[in-house]
Amino acid sequence: MAYRTYLMVCAGTGCVANNSMKIKEKLEDELLKRGIHNEVSVVTTGCNGFCAAGPLMVVQPDGVFYQLLKESDIPLLVEEHFIKGRPVKKLMYTPPKEKSSIPKMSDIPFFANQTLIALKNRGLIDPEKIDEYIARGGYEALAKVLTTMTSEEVIKEIKDSGLRGRGGGGFPTGIKWETCKRMEADTRYVICNADEGDPGAFMDRSIIESDPHAVLEGMCIGAFAIGASDGYIYIRNEYPIALQRLQVAIKQAREYGLLGKNIFGTDFSFDVRIVRGAGAFVCGESTALMASIEGKPGEPRAKYVHTVEKGLHDKPTCLNNVETWANVAQIITRGASWFSSIGTGDVSEDAWGGSKGTKVFSLSGKVNNTGLIEVPMGISLRQIIYDIGGGIKDGKKFKAVQTGGPSGGFIPESLLDLPVDYEELTRVGSMMGSGGMVVTDEDNCMVEMAKYFLSFTQAESCGKCIPCREGTKRMLDILEKITTGEGTEEDLVLLEELSYMVVDSSLCALGGSAPNPVLTTLKYFRDEYETHVRDKKCPAHCCKALIKYSIDPNICVEKGHGCGVCSKSCPDGAIIGESKQVHYIDLMKCGKCGICYDSCKFNAIYIE
Amino acid sequence: MIKLTIDGKQLEVFEDTSILKAAEKAGIWIPTMCHCDYIEPYGVCRLCSVEVVKGKRSRIVTACNYPVREGLTVRTNSERVKWIRKIIMELMLSRWPNVPAVKEMAEQLGISKPRFESKEKDEAEDACILCGMCVNVCNDLVGKGVLGFSKMGIEREVVLPYNERSEECIACGACAYVCPTKHIKVKSLEYERGAIQDWSLASKTAIYVPTMQAVPRVPTIDEASCINKQTGGCKACQTYCEPGAINYDMKDEEIEVEVGQILITTGYQLMDLTKMPQFGYGRLDNVYSSLDFEHMLNSTGPTNGTIQCKDGSVPRAVGIIHCIGSRDENYHKYCSRVCCMYALKFAHLIKDRTTAEVYQFYIDMRAFGKGYEEFYKRLLDEGVNMIRGKVGEVTECRVDGEKPFLKVACEDTLIGKFREIPLDMVILCPAIESNADSSDLKKIFSISQSPDKFFLERHPKLDPMSTMTDGIFIAGCAQGPKDIPDSVAQASGAAAKILSLISVGEVAVDPIKAEIVEERCSGCRICNNLCPYGAISYIDEKKISFINDMLCKGCGTCVAACPSSVITGKGFTDAQIMAEIEGLLAI
Repeated sequence: MAYRTYLMVCAGTGCVANNSMKIKEKLEDELLKRGIHNEVSVVTTGCNGFCAAGPLMVVQPDGVFYQLLKESDIPLLVEEHFIKGRPVKKLMYTPPKEKSSIPKMSDIPFFANQTLIALKNRGLIDPEKIDEYIARGGYEALAKVLTTMTSEEVIKEIKDSGLRGRGGGGFPTGIKWETCKRMEADTRYVICNADEGDPGAFMDRSIIESDPHAVLEGMCIGAFAIGASDGYIYIRNEYPIALQRLQVAIKQAREYGLLGKNIFGTDFSFDVRIVRGAGAFVCGESTALMASIEGKPGEPRAKYVHTVEKGLHDKPTCLNNVETWANVAQIITRGASWFSSIGTGDVSEDAWGGSKGTKVFSLSGKVNNTGLIEVPMGISLRQIIYDIGGGIKDGKKFKAVQTGGPSGGFIPESLLDLPVDYEELTRVGSMMGSGGMVVTDEDNCMVEMAKYFLSFTQAESCGKCIPCREGTKRMLDILEKITTGEGTEEDLVLLEELSYMVVDSSLCALGGSAPNPVLTTLKYFRDEYETHVRDKKCPAHCCKALIKYSIDPNICVEKGHGCGVCSKSCPDGAIIGESKQVHYIDLMKCGKCGICYDSCKFNAIYIE
Repeated sequence: MIKLTIDGKQLEVFEDTSILKAAEKAGIWIPTMCHCDYIEPYGVCRLCSVEVVKGKRSRIVTACNYPVREGLTVRTNSERVKWIRKIIMELMLSRWPNVPAVKEMAEQLGISKPRFESKEKDEAEDACILCGMCVNVCNDLVGKGVLGFSKMGIEREVVLPYNERSEECIACGACAYVCPTKHIKVKSLEYERGAIQDWSLASKTAIYVPTMQAVPRVPTIDEASCINKQTGGCKACQTYCEPGAINYDMKDEEIEVEVGQILITTGYQLMDLTKMPQFGYGRLDNVYSSLDFEHMLNSTGPTNGTIQCKDGSVPRAVGIIHCIGSRDENYHKYCSRVCCMYALKFAHLIKDRTTAEVYQFYIDMRAFGKGYEEFYKRLLDEGVNMIRGKVGEVTECRVDGEKPFLKVACEDTLIGKFREIPLDMVILCPAIESNADSSDLKKIFSISQSPDKFFLERHPKLDPMSTMTDGIFIAGCAQGPKDIPDSVAQASGAAAKILSLISVGEVAVDPIKAEIVEERCSGCRICNNLCPYGAISYIDEKKISFINDMLCKGCGTCVAACPSSVITGKGFTDAQIMAEIEGLLAI
């Protein structure tokens, strides 16, 4: 049955957490009440990407975008838009500092500046219905591969496309497949790495949540290319929705004969098993992941013998990230030349010569439009932050952007025009990583930020090798010293030396990249470190031990008349003063929580 | 073969060789702290980091697990490598400042004081440095996987599952052996009661020399505890035995030897002392059997021959209780004969090696042999306390502030009083018993046992080493409790008997034999078990019984028993007897 209108309600994790399922029920109730449930259909989709605007909904085919929905908005919305045909302006997106709202999703800069490949179907299909995926051209690529192409042709196509590993390493996918295929073995495996452990990163989760079949199709094609018949998807158990949608997708694909024996009536058989990870960050590392699948402790091993030679169960194994797999079917359908036309550099000679296609980032931190974005390679960081991200929150000043997850480096404003490209990002001390992007503003202390991210990697170190286990902990100790005002100039030297050594000699990429936040902040924001060490001050007023709250007596009396709000709100009872008199902060008692600072309406309290 | 250059030296090595091994071959030292030859390289200490140069680019790899490649150029001592090693050593020194292995390595690399302060500092000399060798040995070599790591990052530690003693652990000690800091100790179970296995006070390894006096004195592999026999792994001994004498495929085998005569000298067993719980064996500390104590006295034993209590202290008073299970209506009525004298020997040695008081609890003193009485007299002169009377029980007493001691309650029949003696150590003299499987032997050889279960001799005075079965002889404690001189004498006598028969070459046998008429034998086998000499056997192929002429004494039991009347006495057939009778009557 055809409907005149489809309401695509986002059911990504962010929107679900913000009650989007209630909104969906309310919508259905309201449509039923109004008697138009036969004309308007409510569809739950995977993550739309604009998480900052959730819960959100897109009206199709008009393309009208509604955001920040509340249950109480629904009756009005149904009445106005779906009965009377007048879209509701107040529920639409309004860019910061502008007055008029933008009705159409495609006109919103957040969406307009994106190029969708891996996320092609996001927000457009119900991820739990294979028919909707097929209707959007799904499994066409697999059919093409199995019926008209040889494995060599598939590999060549992927090589020509210039697709590189989206999990962070940026290894050319075609070469990986080719090597794996070349190894002599009776059994080969393909693995999808969905163990997304970076705090604040949710690219893989969103892809699986919105388009699980794209991943399955990609794996199928990959398996055909390298000659594997078994596949594994290693996914975190903390991703319940993604896990459930994957299970549904695998079941449906098996029912349709798209997984299992003799796919499309050919000799090719392939099936996929899901392995759930217990949440150790290091299990995202390929060798640790394989160890984990084998039932061993999730610890990495040296990769001098690559996993394409000896991987899972010592068999040639081709492991790719979720996003990499999601790109594969598109490359087959639309051709390598289309894919390689997007992006930077030239990969026809050197596979490492450029970055092609798109990259999905989860944009978070101090930008207005946080969410999931897919941008063409080569786009500048400035475009991402200002055009798509809508600039810095509250009009503050941009300070740095960290790319690549907790072990990525911070990139300062002077390098904002840097194109998104594997080599470029590495050159400035950061990395593509799996696609986390955290924006910081003037209120963030870079030492504190470095310490924060290092504390994550340090805690997630498996502890196998000395540089990572001992080294990161000593680095963290030094950062702790600096942020508490006990650091010395020698500490800075030692910190830097230690960082380089940990990068150089760690066993796996976790240790090899963990010092990146420290090294880049030392490189680009050394003055902040020096202020901490020399002047015992934190310029961003973040490091508690280095700041103190004071009350300006003049403002307190003249403007605030000694209102005493600060004194009442202080949890430590550290603010003394009679009513209508000047108040003082007892520094011995002050816990530096900042509640008084926030509560003073007259800005009489300042930080030194 | 692969050609590579290490520190300017060109060399050729086999494929799959690691840089570390290649360097070793070239005489270049690369420091390591987590590597040993018999396990897969683990690559975690990173001390073996070396610089691998490819064109203009160089990278750091670990030598222990980086396989050599054609044309590789390796620098093992570049500034970058030295710098990495220096910081690694600083990190290790700051965490484990007192571990000798770490200190030595630091010294070798010229590092004295670390620039870091470690909050996780462990000042123990035997601290675990997390090299993982124990875990890998247990996993990969032993194949048991008892040890593992727990926790992550800086909190990582080597543990047994749930930090409890593992049932899986076979106490092979491989982990302790590879541990570079001696952090792992194999807890000695030798004094833990229950762990004592019959002949040994000490725990032993899977390869052991049965006794230090064994001839030939060669080690043997205990199949029950050999890791290779259990898991197929390990093979450490094979790797290390230079002459290549280890052969896992050797099996225990049964050998059939055809002989004319057999001498049974299967010896005895000691009575199980746990059957008499009143003496506390296996329950109380410092209660030993005479064999345990003999083991303690041995200079190659668990205490190197020093007499000590379980806590290592020298006993102040030792009691030796005779006749445990011997001359006892409830157990064995006979006298075990040897206890009195070895108890006296113990007393003498205790007096000799310690200052302890020694008490002998005896029923009668039986110092019957040559020179024995004199030895007994000498002991009395040495001041050994002799208490004549049976011991009731041994108990443990605890007095606040003092170490627990043992108390022996007994009746002193010489002074007619009940006495309680406080002691630090009690030695029990268990009865000598015939072996538990002697009844099986009896059946095999068709010989008899006397009521005390020892094998019965043909005549107690005139033929004490023969049995009722020709060609089967007995000697030693298989025949009855006796000491070494008596055993030797009896065995010599038996050997002489055997030799006398061998030297004759032929055996004259009595002509009176039983005979089976083969054609008529139904093969019912009734005669087989009846024959007191085991002379009748059954021939499977012919399905008839067969009488061995050499063994048959012509007693006639089978003749009377045969239901088909096909067994007759040779020269004594019914017809012959009837003819004789008729002849007699005719006269």
